[in-house]
Amino acid sequence: MSMQQPAGDDAKFVRVQREDFSVDAEINRVRGRSKRIGGISIFLGTARDRSKGRDVDRITFEHYEGMAQKTLREIRERALKDFDIIEVAILHRYGEIGIGENIVLIVVGAEHRAEAFRACTWAIDELKRITPIWKLEHTPEGEVWVEEHP
Amino acid sequence: MITVRLFGMTKMLAGNQGTLSLNLVNGRRVKDLVGVLETGYPAIGELIQKKKVLVSVNQEIAHEDTTIQDGDEVALLPPFAGGASAGC
Repeated sequence: MSMQQPAGDDAKFVRVQREDFSVDAEINRVRGRSKRIGGISIFLGTARDRSKGRDVDRITFEHYEGMAQKTLREIRERALKDFDIIEVAILHRYGEIGIGENIVLIVVGAEHRAEAFRACTWAIDELKRITPIWKLEHTPEGEVWVEEHP
Repeated sequence: MITVRLFGMTKMLAGNQGTLSLNLVNGRRVKDLVGVLETGYPAIGELIQKKKVLVSVNQEIAHEDTTIQDGDEVALLPPFAGGASAGC
């Protein structure tokens, strides 16, 4: 079931921002969409201290302003159309992020858990596949753009 | 003259410039832009040929025959952070 989306929802449910986000606040924003929601699935991506055998001190994310937001809006719209869910929020941070901090959040609200899980998995996989966001890892040996050595 | 936006690794390969201003003298298609890049920035040209770096026009992934008009927003997109072997 896909609901009619009033204008402006994109800005609430799709955000690319420097500052941290509150997982609870975003869950409540999705929960508040409909009393029919019976299951909420989330994916939270955080910054880890190790990558491909290297220590990582911190990570800097760069994004293509405009295209990144457009891509995430499209992912949200496709998720609402292709899965039996009620709402999905997609947030991604940019700038410098310390180890352990939040990077990316997907929150999916649905009537039942199965579709919430399925849509959440699809949304994060699709985000990682097509969203113009790049990751610079700061290591003791220097800075490395992920996938720098194709 | 067109302006090409650079990100991540492509920015680094261009000496940390965020944009390049290029003259397309032999045509207005993406493949003509790639030809200019191969001359001035061979490392970037090679990544485009290997399809590791994508070209976007007006925030859509472009193909070699996509036409570039004056004022179009052109960018070189290196592999995204969520590439197959990355991931959180």
